[in-house]
Amino acid sequence: MTKPAPVYVLGGAQTDFSRNWSKEGKHFVAMMREATLGALEAARIEPREVETAHVGNFAAELYTKQGHIGAFFLEVDPAFSGLPTSRHEAACASGSIALIAASAEIEAARYELACVVGVEQMKTVDSTTGGDILGTAAWYEREAKGIEFPFPKLFGRLGDEYDKRYGLRDEHLAHISAVNYSNAKRNPNAQTRNWFMSESHAQRESKFNQVIGGRIKISDCSQVTDGSVAIFLASEKFAGVWAKRNGKTLADIPRILGWGHHTAPLEFDTKVAESRDNAYVLPHTRQAILDAFKRAGIASAAELSGIETHDCFTTSEYMAIDHFGITKPGESWKAVEEGVIELGGRLPINPSGGLIGAGHPVGATGVRQMLDCHRQITGSAGDYQVEGAKKFAMLNIGGSGTTSCVFIVGK
Amino acid sequence: MADNNKVVIIGANGTMGAGAGCVFAGAEYKVTLLARSCEKAALGFADAQNYARAEAIAERLSVGAYDADLEREVGGAAIVFESLAEDLPLKRQFFELIDNSRRPDTIVASGSSGLSIAEMARGRSDSFRRNFLGLHLFNPPQVIVGAEVIPGPDTDPAVVKSVIAMLTKRLGRKVIVTKDMPAFVGNRVGFKVLNETAQLAAEHGVAFIDYLIGPHTGRAMAPLATVDLVGWDVHKAIVNNVHANCEDEAHESFAMPGYMNAALHKGCMGDKTPERGGFYRRAGKQVFVLDPKTGGHESYQKPAPIEFVEKMKRLHHVGRYAEALKVLAEARGADADICRRVVLGYVSYALNRVGEVAASTADVDTIMSYGFNWAPPTAIVDLLGAKETVAMLQELKLTVPASVELAASRGTKMFPGGILEYGRTFVG
Repeated sequence: MTKPAPVYVLGGAQTDFSRNWSKEGKHFVAMMREATLGALEAARIEPREVETAHVGNFAAELYTKQGHIGAFFLEVDPAFSGLPTSRHEAACASGSIALIAASAEIEAARYELACVVGVEQMKTVDSTTGGDILGTAAWYEREAKGIEFPFPKLFGRLGDEYDKRYGLRDEHLAHISAVNYSNAKRNPNAQTRNWFMSESHAQRESKFNQVIGGRIKISDCSQVTDGSVAIFLASEKFAGVWAKRNGKTLADIPRILGWGHHTAPLEFDTKVAESRDNAYVLPHTRQAILDAFKRAGIASAAELSGIETHDCFTTSEYMAIDHFGITKPGESWKAVEEGVIELGGRLPINPSGGLIGAGHPVGATGVRQMLDCHRQITGSAGDYQVEGAKKFAMLNIGGSGTTSCVFIVGK
Repeated sequence: MADNNKVVIIGANGTMGAGAGCVFAGAEYKVTLLARSCEKAALGFADAQNYARAEAIAERLSVGAYDADLEREVGGAAIVFESLAEDLPLKRQFFELIDNSRRPDTIVASGSSGLSIAEMARGRSDSFRRNFLGLHLFNPPQVIVGAEVIPGPDTDPAVVKSVIAMLTKRLGRKVIVTKDMPAFVGNRVGFKVLNETAQLAAEHGVAFIDYLIGPHTGRAMAPLATVDLVGWDVHKAIVNNVHANCEDEAHESFAMPGYMNAALHKGCMGDKTPERGGFYRRAGKQVFVLDPKTGGHESYQKPAPIEFVEKMKRLHHVGRYAEALKVLAEARGADADICRRVVLGYVSYALNRVGEVAASTADVDTIMSYGFNWAPPTAIVDLLGAKETVAMLQELKLTVPASVELAASRGTKMFPGGILEYGRTFVG
């Protein structure tokens, strides 16, 4: 097979994830407008230069009773009228699927410049209804119907599976939570940047930190977030022109070095049964990581400067640590104890604060992770910059480990 | 040496004291909450836990009483934050006690929302005056991140620098430095508008004014509801202070309306007196609204929709803020004239404070945006167009700020950020 054409990442912008757009009296199109207009300005791109748009969104039909989300891209600027647009859905991995679709179009030389937008407005409903809507990311009828907050329970069971196979101490999960909250304090767009958190708060069940599913407490959970993120992917031809007019060379611009994408059976029990004899609890996630490594030409996670991973719950970050090969399977706790994952550690995970600290607008999360990879590689991550970052990875997961998408970004 | 991680809060049983305690403890300071008695300080302790939504904050908090504990606690503190009532003699009395107990390098900050920092420091030791400044946090401090730093005449610039660094890096604040003038920048500009709307309510009614100059004009909350939230006693203290001590183009806007003084006399202080209410009073699900003409509360009636207001709200709803402001600019009729006068009056008054109490237009933007959750004045100018803004100001016979005139003549943008920075301040 011939090597695909390179895909460059030109930058973008995101909304402040602490905002509540329902309280602001706004439709999600306002969010898309702000993110995309902000991205055009940040990346110094003219609207007329955009040739195609891909929108990642999980459940606007349920949260806002609105479908056909791709078409809303045209509301951003009159120059977008007539553009080919589409909407992509794979639960919490919707943003990454939009990125994969856009990058495939660039690789196939169909278009030179694509805009990828992730958007989710979640605060339109109360927490119980929201939990039920999120249940549609599992096999709803079998795993979520009639269950209050099904997803914390499913990811609690991921922790239980680790416990059964290798042993798992909740204090390591609490530390993962505290690290994400601490990193989020450095991120000006993070939802929890002004919230109180301490390791001892995360350790204990209390009035303000109740158990909501199995071993999962509130402090183990990502947030209910309204947010939108927009980013531009470009061909070598466009990136070359763009680099020149911005006083840069192609070598200065980050590109997608590798990607991986696998889907596991939807039901959690089937996943676990399938991986019974495997050292990895979620082998399809592991394979997506290995595919991305291979495409990027890197041998292991040791070549990465950092990772933005899917910590919808602390158990999913715990899983990511050994699945990236940072430790042997089942030994993620060692990286937690040794401070490997902290800012300043050997391989920082979620310098942005991740989904727990920065927030998790479901359909926008993958695009936010890509934007943070871009920020790290271009040295523009401000107070959460990983010094001298060269290669950054992201792992975005939909459902209970069902859809796994990995990208590696670097120069 | 003082423990460089220890903060003492004086007046910790009040909303601002407990909120400040929550903010400092959240930034991993060890905080002592002091009040008249340990029981009163314990109220602040419970409030701080609720604000933080974490019992574990208790590990960083302790309580004490002035008589038994002030001398010892202040003696070990890196920072003393005063959050007493807005009563200058009371504050001065405490600063004398603090002056006698503090270490030479202890920083002392007053949380006053507008009293003279110089007056507070007068008569204190050299070391106290070098390490003393105003640190105005906005209510509620665990939510609102704007902060004003007000150096006194003798404050060491290095102290100002270190306090700004602490506020921005550790406390996550958006900070401006202001001159030591009544109400500083945020409250001077904000309460000019709030009191102006209270004056307008005397003629047009409370519900109507809150609707006409509501969140669609670039604010998180309607203005008179904001006064209820702040408290009428606080409102009176601020506007009276500015009215008595500042002579400027909006002097009369600071005259507290007679009906407010009368209601305040009867104990109406807004949300803090729920039984008496303020502009609004709630009884279960029923809402009553003050009639400024009679001084009584009537059942709330939703004002009849006004076309240009509804149009603006619809445009904000879909994120078209510039188009919404164009609707305001082009609307005709008496209602639109009132609304424009308040909004453009805000822009004019705010930007005219540059060079007087504020150092720059960016500082005015920062404090109105992050202290009040109001649209930054220069963003309003950009959205209306600088030339158009000048024309509107002239038509309304409002002072044209030099910065707006310059932007109009050069055709330059005034607001340094973009839509992502001001979008949240327009509500649909």
